[in-house]
Amino acid sequence: MILFLIASLLISLTSGILLTFLFCPSLKNGAAGPAFRLFAGSGLGLGVTSCLYFVCLLTGLTQHLSAMDLGVCLLLGISCFIFFRRPAARGGQPLPETGKRSRFPILLAGIFSVELVASLGSFVFAFLKEPHGRWDAWLIWNMHARFLFRGGEHWRDAFASGLDWSHWDYPLLLPLSIARSWKYMGGESLSIPAVMAFVFTFMTLGLLWCALSLLRSRIQGCLAAMILLGTPFFIVMGASQFADIPLAFFILATLVLISLQARSPENQPGALILAGLAAGLCAWTKNEGLLFLLIVTGSLFCTAVYAGGWRSALNRAAGFLAGALPILLMVIYFKTQLSPANDLMAGFGPAAVAAKLTDFGRYAEIAKAFFITGISFTQGLIDIRVGMHLNPGAVNILLLIGYLFLAGVRIDGRDRIGLLQSAAALGLMLIGYFFVYVLTPLNLSYHLATSLNRLFLQLWPSVIFLCFMIAGSPEPVQSPGDRPGTAPAQPETRSTKENKPKKTRGPK
Amino acid sequence: MDKSASPYRRKAGLLILVVLTGYAVMNLLWQGFQSYPNLPATDPVTIHEARIAQLRTLLPASGAVGYVTTVENDRIFAAEKTFTNVEFLAQYVLTQYTLAPRIVRNSPDLPLVVGNFIDGPPAPGFLEKNGLVPLKDFGDGLILYRREGKP
Repeated sequence: MILFLIASLLISLTSGILLTFLFCPSLKNGAAGPAFRLFAGSGLGLGVTSCLYFVCLLTGLTQHLSAMDLGVCLLLGISCFIFFRRPAARGGQPLPETGKRSRFPILLAGIFSVELVASLGSFVFAFLKEPHGRWDAWLIWNMHARFLFRGGEHWRDAFASGLDWSHWDYPLLLPLSIARSWKYMGGESLSIPAVMAFVFTFMTLGLLWCALSLLRSRIQGCLAAMILLGTPFFIVMGASQFADIPLAFFILATLVLISLQARSPENQPGALILAGLAAGLCAWTKNEGLLFLLIVTGSLFCTAVYAGGWRSALNRAAGFLAGALPILLMVIYFKTQLSPANDLMAGFGPAAVAAKLTDFGRYAEIAKAFFITGISFTQGLIDIRVGMHLNPGAVNILLLIGYLFLAGVRIDGRDRIGLLQSAAALGLMLIGYFFVYVLTPLNLSYHLATSLNRLFLQLWPSVIFLCFMIAGSPEPVQSPGDRPGTAPAQPETRSTKENKPKKTRGPK
Repeated sequence: MDKSASPYRRKAGLLILVVLTGYAVMNLLWQGFQSYPNLPATDPVTIHEARIAQLRTLLPASGAVGYVTTVENDRIFAAEKTFTNVEFLAQYVLTQYTLAPRIVRNSPDLPLVVGNFIDGPPAPGFLEKNGLVPLKDFGDGLILYRREGKP
């Protein structure tokens, strides 16, 4: 059974890695380039293969699942082979190579390794305590996986079961990924949801580390990863087997890929398409992902209009949507044909909306909850019987702000637009979440207490990424990039105007 | 944009970050390590699942069954919403989790009804009022009922 589990994961992983080769052909920066392919590719691969399984369920071809998976993998492999035979594909300008290491990064890598091992230990302890995961894992995600797997030909029945409390309108990436592995193994195993939780938790960490190692420096990558490891709620939620960590992964992947395309012009159309795919997978993971897809498309378009005019904005939005569209179509099919209405949409009449929008007491209560949770969410789940209270702990948003104050700000001109897009997306997500609470038909205190900290956690890896994209290097600046010991292979820092998207090589 | 900080500030920032993240990581590990000896041999969800799984042999492979517990059905969700008791909802959800893909409805109005009385028996007269006749008592508060119509 273990072999079949490995096979199912390997096929997902290979598909994702091949996608990164196809759409981001030029990534060379020591270990960070291949690591980026591994971490980003694995998550995208898991998302894509969950979509394939959904197609198999819809078409009644689940018995041919492995053949279809292998077919897609082979197709991607052949595409990569053909693409890399073109001389143009090999001649792209790589991201700057990291030069020789000084002692400091090695020391930091040593501390990071110790923290990583300790966090692995914490994850294992959390799993041993609750091998089925926490409340939402067996109320929603693992329960849905069981229905999809055990239901056989009648898998659709669950969506019309009337079990509204299990939120059958929630998208299926995580349940399908679990059920797919069970399908490969030929039976259920308690370890699969935990394996998925482990994979997404440490892929998020790995993606944060290697993205910053690629775009800034290994030191920045290590420091950012250490902040994420030092967030107890991240490890606890990872082991809890909720979908919030997979969503955090896809949000981070979207923003990283948007930043990546600004840095390496030869990757521009491909990285944007992959960013669109990652944003689409956000919508396939949780309902909040739909809001993210909408917001990130809007922020991408508006900032591109500001930076390069309408034509450039349309081109960029088209590339991004090309990646998101296949997943979005599936989400639309799921929402219109299978899923029941969302509980937050219940009683959503104009009168109720107007009454809530003009109730300023709600705004005050939400603002207070945002403030308290914003400082405390990193410390873990709150006891809903006690309610919200300030609990900053050692690692929280104040640490990021303090670090930025001490380390200073250093923004590479090439990153400005990407950073603006990412910051706008994250800011608008917060505003979006705020108004979801303003309009919620649920008891406001209950809704805030049971969900707000998880919503903040979904954005937390991306906030750390953004912070370290603008933070000054902890080592003295030696080169035009802030990369000590780095060969400045990229041209000098360009201005925003020069950073307009250009027609470049890449997969059409 | 380049607002580089002095080397001392950079080093201070780095030191604070390393110390605080190191403390947070080790603290979480220590908490896990401390709680490990006190963990029960089997976690509550697995225990509940093993208990409920006994029903599977007597239930059809698909379709719906009813559910009753110590409190009236409409109080299961109400108690959770007011933060007064989450146990009844957890027991109901875990019953559904175990018996999937059968649908477990939070109602006594079905031909077969699962009785989950781990927290004590229902109010006197509740079972008779709903016409529930025991089919099999599995012990430990788990009983499968057949509904014979309200008297």
